[in-house]
Amino acid sequence: MSFLEIKALTKRFSETTAVEDFSLTVERGEFVSLLGPSGCGKTTTLQMIAGFEQPTSGSIILHGRNLAKIPARKRGLGIVFQTYALFPHMTVEQNVAFGLEMRGIPEPDRRQKVAAALDLVKLSHLAKRLPKAMSGGQRQRVALARALVIEPELLLLDEPLSNLDAKLREEMQLELRRIQQEAGVTTLLVTHDQSEAMALSDRIAVMQSGRLMQLGTPFDTYETPKSTFISNFLGKTNCLNARLVSTTGTASTLVINGIEVSGPSVNLLPGDVMASLRPERIDIVESSDGHTEAKVLERIFLGDQWLFRLETKLGELLVVRRNRGRREAEPGENVFIVWQPEHLQILPASRESA
Amino acid sequence: MISNGRYSLLFNALFTLFMVGPLVVVIGVSFTPTGYLEFPPSGLSLRWFAAILDNPDFIDAAWVSLKLGIASATVSTIVAVPAALAIGREKFSGREALQALFLSPLTVPTVVLGIAFLRLLSVLELNGTFVGLVLCHAIIITPFVLRLVLSSVVGMDRSIEKAAISLGASNWTVFRRITMPLIMPGIVGGWVLAFITSFDELTVTVFIVNPSTTTLPVRLFSHITQTTDPLIASVSTVVILFTVALMLLINRFYGLDRLLMGETK
Ligand SMILES: Nc1ncnc2c1ncn2[C@@H]1O[C@H](COP(=O)(O)OP(=O)(O)OP(=O)(O)O)[C@@H](O)[C@H]1O
Ligand SMILES: [Mg+2]
Repeated sequence: MSFLEIKALTKRFSETTAVEDFSLTVERGEFVSLLGPSGCGKTTTLQMIAGFEQPTSGSIILHGRNLAKIPARKRGLGIVFQTYALFPHMTVEQNVAFGLEMRGIPEPDRRQKVAAALDLVKLSHLAKRLPKAMSGGQRQRVALARALVIEPELLLLDEPLSNLDAKLREEMQLELRRIQQEAGVTTLLVTHDQSEAMALSDRIAVMQSGRLMQLGTPFDTYETPKSTFISNFLGKTNCLNARLVSTTGTASTLVINGIEVSGPSVNLLPGDVMASLRPERIDIVESSDGHTEAKVLERIFLGDQWLFRLETKLGELLVVRRNRGRREAEPGENVFIVWQPEHLQILPASRESA
Repeated sequence: MISNGRYSLLFNALFTLFMVGPLVVVIGVSFTPTGYLEFPPSGLSLRWFAAILDNPDFIDAAWVSLKLGIASATVSTIVAVPAALAIGREKFSGREALQALFLSPLTVPTVVLGIAFLRLLSVLELNGTFVGLVLCHAIIITPFVLRLVLSSVVGMDRSIEKAAISLGASNWTVFRRITMPLIMPGIVGGWVLAFITSFDELTVTVFIVNPSTTTLPVRLFSHITQTTDPLIASVSTVVILFTVALMLLINRFYGLDRLLMGETK
C-alpha cells in the first residue's frame, strides 16, 4: 500500500467539474508535482487533501488513514500557501511556534524545535522580525519552516514560488529541494510552471481540465508525452500534422506536408497523426547531403542559446542551438537541418488534446 | 504639477478653516469675562468654566452621555462583529438583505427614527430609561461599526486562517488568535466612531430622554432655547478638549490614520 492513495477523486461545483476521476499514489519521501494550466483543478485537488474542500466522490488515504471524516485541523499536514499566509501580527518565531503551541508541546521543546526549523531554512538571524519587514524569499522560507516544524506526514505546496522574481525563483527551487530532502517529507507541489515541476519533482502528474493526463518522471514525461497537449505544455515543441503510412517493429513512415519522413515505430493505426519534434533535437548543418533545406526567418539570442525560426518544406520549425561562441546563420540565410528519426514523437491526432 | 499643488493647498487651507474656525470661535467665547456671547473676547476669564461646577445638571448630563456612549458603542460592536464576519465572507441567501437592514439607520431621517423609537420604547415599557437610550443609540451607531469592521474583514487574506487551521487550531482559537487581532483596527475604529456619534447625538435623543436621563447635547440644546450665556461655550470647550484628548490617546497607541481607514495589518 502506498503512502498516499488518491482514488477516483471528483469535485463538482454548481456549474463546473473542477476535478474528475483523479487517481494518484505517492510513495513515502517522494516529491510529486501536479502540473497543469490555470483552472485545471490543481488547487481544488490540494484543498481536498488539506480538508478545506469536500470531495464530491472518491477517497484520499494517507498512511492507511481515510481522510474523509477527519477535519482539516486534525490532518496534521503542512501547507504552504501561494500568498504565504503568514500571521502578520506575529514574529517569525511566533509564526513557526504556532503549530507546536496548538499541539501542546511544552516551552523548552518548542523553542528547540523552532530553532531547528529556522536553521533548516537559514533564517535563525531573523527570528524576531515581523513578516512585513521581510523579503518575498524570506517570507517563503518562514512559511516553509512553519509548515515543516510540526513534522507533517505530507507537505502541500500551492504555487509556492510564483510570487518571486525569476532569479530568486531559481534559487528557491534548489533551496526547496534541499529542504524537502533534508526533512525527508513526502511532498505534493502544485504549479503551472513546467520548469519548476521538472526541476523539483521525482514524478510529475500532468492535469488537464480536472483530469490526470500523464504521470511519470520528468524525463519520461518530457521524452514520451502521451499527447500533443503534454508535449506542448512541457517545453517547446514543433507540432506538425502528419499521416502515418506504415509502421513496423522498428520504424515507421510518415508523410508531412507531402514529404516522406521516417520515424520510430509506434503503436498507432495508419492515418492522421501529430508529429512532434523538439527544437533542441534539430541540428543546423552547412552541408546539403540529403538534409532538409531551410531558410532562417528569425533569430533570437537568449544568452546560453539561440532560438531560430526556420521555413522548411515541412512547415515552420523552431530550432534551439547552444551558444558556442561562434557565428550563427542570420535571417535570410539558407541552411540545412537534420534530426534523428527516433526523436520524432508520433502522437494521436485527437482534436480535444490539441 | 505646481498649479495642481497650489490648488490642493488652497483646498486644504479652506477646508481646515471651515473645520477649525467654529471651534476657535467657541473656545474663544468661552474665555469671555462678560455675561453674553462675544468674539473676540474682551478679556480672559475662567468665570464660565467655574460656572459649570455650579450647574450640576450639566455634569450629570455629561456622565449620562459618557456612560451611554460607552454602553451603546460596546453593544453595537458586539452585534456588528459577528454580523460583519457573516456578511463579509459567507455566501448565504438574504446576505444582501441583512446588510441593508444593518445599514438602514443611515438612510432613515433621524426625526423619523426618533418618533419610531419613542413608540418602540413605550411598547417595551422602556420609555425614558437608560436601557432604552442604550438600545436606540446602539441601533443608530451600528452602521458605523459594521462598515469599519466589514472593510477589515473583507481586506483579510482567508488563507491566513486556513494556515492556522492546518496547524491544528480550533475555530475558537483561530478567531481569538488570528481573526480578532487582524480585524482589530476595524473594531477599535468602529467603536470610537460609534462612541463619538452617540456622545454627540441630539435629534433622536430629544424624543426619548426624560429629566433623569438627559444627555449632554440635549441639555445644551435646552439651555440654548432658554438663555444664551457663554456657559454653553465653556461646556463645548470642555467637550472639544475631551475629544481631542481621546484622539491623541488613540493616536498614541494606535495611529489615527489606520483607525479611520479601518485598514488591516
Ligand atoms: N469555490 C468554487 N466555486 C465554483 N467553482 C470553483 C470554485 N473553486 C474553483 N472553481 C472552479 O474549478 C476549476 C478549477 O479551479 P482550481 O482553482 O482548482 O484551478 P487551478 O488549477 O488551481 O488554477 P490556477 O493555476 O489558476 O490556480 C476552475 O474552473 C474554477 O473556476
Ligand atoms: Mg490554483
